[in-house]
Amino acid sequence: MDRDPMGADSLVACETCGLVQEVGEVPKGSVAYCARCDSHLIHRRPNTRLRTFTFSLAALILYFPSNLYPIVTAEYHGIHSQTTILQGIRTLFQDRQYFIACLVLCTSILSPAFKIVGLLFLSTTIEWPRWKKARTWIYRVIRVIDPWNMLEVFLLAICVAMIEMGQVASVHPGRGVFSFTAVVALTLLATLSFDSRVLWDSPEEKKRYE
Amino acid sequence: MNRLVAERSPPRAVIKKGRPAWLLWLIPAGAAALCLWFLYRDYIATGPLITIYFQNVNGLQEGNTQVQFRGCQIGEVKTLTLAPDLRQVKVTTRLAGFAKNLARTGSLFWIVRPELKVGTISGLQTIVSGEYINVQPGDGPPTNVFTGVEQQPLDKEPGALSIIVRGNALNSVQEKSTVYYRSLAVGEVTGYQLASDGRAVLIRARVRKEYAPLVRENSIFWNAGGLDLHVGLFKGAEISAISAQSLVSGGIEFATPTAPGAAATNGAVFELNEKAKDEWKNWEPSIPLHLEKQAPATETLPNSEPELK
Repeated sequence: MDRDPMGADSLVACETCGLVQEVGEVPKGSVAYCARCDSHLIHRRPNTRLRTFTFSLAALILYFPSNLYPIVTAEYHGIHSQTTILQGIRTLFQDRQYFIACLVLCTSILSPAFKIVGLLFLSTTIEWPRWKKARTWIYRVIRVIDPWNMLEVFLLAICVAMIEMGQVASVHPGRGVFSFTAVVALTLLATLSFDSRVLWDSPEEKKRYE
Repeated sequence: MNRLVAERSPPRAVIKKGRPAWLLWLIPAGAAALCLWFLYRDYIATGPLITIYFQNVNGLQEGNTQVQFRGCQIGEVKTLTLAPDLRQVKVTTRLAGFAKNLARTGSLFWIVRPELKVGTISGLQTIVSGEYINVQPGDGPPTNVFTGVEQQPLDKEPGALSIIVRGNALNSVQEKSTVYYRSLAVGEVTGYQLASDGRAVLIRARVRKEYAPLVRENSIFWNAGGLDLHVGLFKGAEISAISAQSLVSGGIEFATPTAPGAAATNGAVFELNEKAKDEWKNWEPSIPLHLEKQAPATETLPNSEPELK
């Protein structure tokens, strides 16, 4: 590697403690650690494509059980009802709670779907010279909808409220809620491990930070 | 100045070995394994989809009504639709995987509703929980289409002795009336009909397997239902009834002479007497019985039903 020792690519600021340090030659398969706080030192997050891809793929796989299986099973004197997320939204619509229904639809069904598909798209097409604009656009949309995903906690609040009726009815979490939690966690990890800098890397930079 | 210069030359980072990248593939692999496990559990837990035709499905709910067997939930009603001829209601039901042996020819399905009859109150829990479908297992070849029965069928009792008692009138005898021997319940009435010439009533009854040897060809049957009222000059009035239950739901009692005849065979016909003679009650035939440790308290013996294979 014929890098300029004082050039921009040999100096790295630690993401954790901010110490600027020189990174010497890093052999393939090795990782640089900060001299002061022992955190990872990176120009670009390692394996960002593969990481984002595997996390979003896992999220995509679990997206189906999370929507097909019931999130709660309520039992009341032998009458039992299982509710999937979609059925819950339908019930909210029937109860004329249009605002809440739209909110849950967007945050629990549409936004995870968009995030998963978007991240899969970004991580697979990043090498392609075309569609650079589209990738930037998708990335920005993901950034915008990301905080709204926290609203999924709202669903948990409903579950807790239902379990509180324990004396009258018994409520069990269904398979859907476990898959759903996994989907939320995996999409979160997928966005975290996506290093947006690779979106705009020039071919030389790509080569350098491989 | 020197210090600043010294600080400008940055420290060297530590270089260590990283984790191999293929480990990341374990995450989607784990997700796929979880999905496959869900599918496998579904496959195991899902039994056949069966169709039951009922005359009336009052109280049944789509997606809510349970199918139970021995109090255990074995299925759920999925859809209720009218048969094309409008004479029946088609009930599609998803059975659980462990209950697939109940989908056999001969299985009888009926709807349990709260019932208040002379002598019995049943299905009270359905007032709160709603109606449910109960099943009596059959042992024929597997099938998916059934015709529901209107009432709970009599429990099956293999080995029970079926007899016919011929009487002048039915009086208070009805289906499920008890058959007594020495005031002990040993069987029950399974049905009745008018004789083909209309001159008598034929009452079908069965005596449980372990008591079957008590019935001999020379046994004598009489109507044990209702009140027996004797008014005598010297002993005053005498009222007798075998039990409060037989008072309301009727019953048949029999006795076998001290010198018992040959054992009765299935389908044997006996005459039903209106009243018992005192001498019948004093007969003391000695008949060996193969009784189980404890005489059962009710007519429905849980161990008398066929084993499911």
